[in-house]
Amino acid sequence: MDVDTDVPMHDAVEDQLDSTLDEEAPGFDNGLASSSPGTSGIADNKATKPVELTGSSIGQLDAWLEKLSQCQCLSEEDVAKLCKMAVDVLQFEDNVQPVSVPVTICGDVHGQFHDLIELFKIGGPCPDTNYLFMGDYVDRGYYSVETVSYLVALKVRYPSRITILRGNHESRQITQVYGFYDECLRKYGSANVWKMFTDLFDYFPITALVDNKIFCLHGGLSPMIETVDQVRELNRIQEVPHEGPMCDLLWSDPDDRGGWGISPRGAGFTFGQDISEQFNHTNDLSLIARAHQLVMEGYAWSHQQSVVTIFSAPNYCYRCGNQAAIMEVDDTMNRQFLQYNPSVRPGEPTVSRKTPDYFL
Amino acid sequence: MERVIQETDNDAFSCKISAITKRYLPSSEQKKIGNYEHYEDIHLEFCKEIKSRSRRKYANITKACRHSLPVMNYGTYLRTVSIDLKLTQWLKNNLENPADKVQVINLGCGSDLRMMTFLASFPGVQWLDLDYKDVVTFKSTILRSNAKFRASLQIEGDLPEEPSSIENVITDRYQLLPCNVTDDEQLIPILKKYTDFSVPAVILTECVLCYLHESKASQLISTVTGLYKQGYWISYDPIGGSQTNDRFGSIMQDNLMESRQLSMPTLMVFNSEDKYKERFPGKSEIQTMWDYYQNHLEDSERQRLKTLQFLDEIEELQVIFSHYVICTTNWRI
Repeated sequence: MDVDTDVPMHDAVEDQLDSTLDEEAPGFDNGLASSSPGTSGIADNKATKPVELTGSSIGQLDAWLEKLSQCQCLSEEDVAKLCKMAVDVLQFEDNVQPVSVPVTICGDVHGQFHDLIELFKIGGPCPDTNYLFMGDYVDRGYYSVETVSYLVALKVRYPSRITILRGNHESRQITQVYGFYDECLRKYGSANVWKMFTDLFDYFPITALVDNKIFCLHGGLSPMIETVDQVRELNRIQEVPHEGPMCDLLWSDPDDRGGWGISPRGAGFTFGQDISEQFNHTNDLSLIARAHQLVMEGYAWSHQQSVVTIFSAPNYCYRCGNQAAIMEVDDTMNRQFLQYNPSVRPGEPTVSRKTPDYFL
Repeated sequence: MERVIQETDNDAFSCKISAITKRYLPSSEQKKIGNYEHYEDIHLEFCKEIKSRSRRKYANITKACRHSLPVMNYGTYLRTVSIDLKLTQWLKNNLENPADKVQVINLGCGSDLRMMTFLASFPGVQWLDLDYKDVVTFKSTILRSNAKFRASLQIEGDLPEEPSSIENVITDRYQLLPCNVTDDEQLIPILKKYTDFSVPAVILTECVLCYLHESKASQLISTVTGLYKQGYWISYDPIGGSQTNDRFGSIMQDNLMESRQLSMPTLMVFNSEDKYKERFPGKSEIQTMWDYYQNHLEDSERQRLKTLQFLDEIEELQVIFSHYVICTTNWRI
């Protein structure tokens, strides 16, 4: 990745400008926030074995889900409770989380809360429909807090009905550039909630295996990973590294060119059809399902149907004009794509809508 | 409507300051071909002056700098660099002899400070900045009150007494004048008085034509290209997109209308590169900012940009930058 400690993110010119600018900018935090993992305390008293939900915690979760479904944030205190409960669910999941059919597989959501609600309308409500989300819940859209809170609450409430993988945006560093950090500051007045969620992200599984046949992950393959078993050996409980296998799984993209290539993004690699076919063959897989890339129809095949890209944020950033899609896999492994357009954003007052940026 | 269009200047300027503070601008290529040594200083100095005059404008700048997403900085970079390089290239070709003269006319100049760099780099250039009265008053007050700007633009006469408002700047080589450029009755007399129709002219329209009604825009193009014997028009604008299922343009129109009552009447009319280019007489070339990014930057420069901020994805850049174009036209009567 290109951001590392050797690269000056803040140069003299910026400091010069900021020193004159920030007087009128209350709450302006010039530097990147301290991003030392684990400081939120959500994982201080982890359970040593899986915990059953009690009647009272079910009641609490249902109340939170009801509130969140109205696009209202939980209190900071409740987010802390939720994240603690989530750690105790997610810590026991595998790097390659097994998932059974039927399941509906979804791609990037990116804080577009109203479109997530639309997704559940199209795909059916959770837990009636089983879901597998492949990461990127936060950043870019204006409701990252509500979106990730809702999905995490669903995960804790229905742990065997929904799987939430980690995307490259579920990271301390990326969220400071792309909006989740700012949104937490704006909605809670401090970075506490951001710290809790980013600490929680470290526990998210990084891949899933649907019926041992569909390998699901956010980004793509890694030159350092030949078998699914090698993914199982990784230590995933950490900030997304700048390089290496865990980074690649969250960052790589399929490409028309064969072999491995340099990614035009900040991290990961591009991989060709030969690589995908070899990986599927080695691991007896029928398909790699991944997200990570905006595709205008909401889904796109590559590598002669060895790889499918699923993107579930319609009209991405309220500007791109793309359709979104989800992929239903039924109990006989038949696949069906459901495409959808943006919700009309009901209940979202026009006046508070932020315009997406354009060059004017 | 006039006011709403004027507001867009503040967006453009704020984006530019963001791209400068994040070191996207000036580009390596700009630094190679022109006098960009004081580029940051000039813009920061102008910012300081804005701060003491308009808290609202200044707040917009701080906001842009604080939440500056890579996609916006890349786009501002591409827009600024592509215009500067095309302008530089043409000036170099047309200013081969010391006696050669060229005039640059920036229609709807806003707060653009390009003239500082180009007047310093090309002694043979005369520069005319035109915009609505309010925009020009704001800009000329700053230019005439600030010692550094006075010195580099060779503005003579007494320092204005604040808070007097100043309507223009007129020096030997630089004029900043109020003019509704879509009104021929205002535009033609000014061009007659301050420019020479027999001297080659470069016309700049940077996000200007997109706000005009089709008839006003085509009238502006035909008026100006009819006056100068030889000229070069550089125009930067969004295009709506012409592919089936391309909804970028219509969403842009809806978003801008809903949030700020800003309309782009020809976004879907000249929605492709070909249609946009055909608006101009003479031989035109056009390219999208995506094409420019892909094919006109050195690899080393693309690498440099990547170190400035974490760029998370390419597909979004492609969608957006495919909807902005730079078009150049050469004409000779």
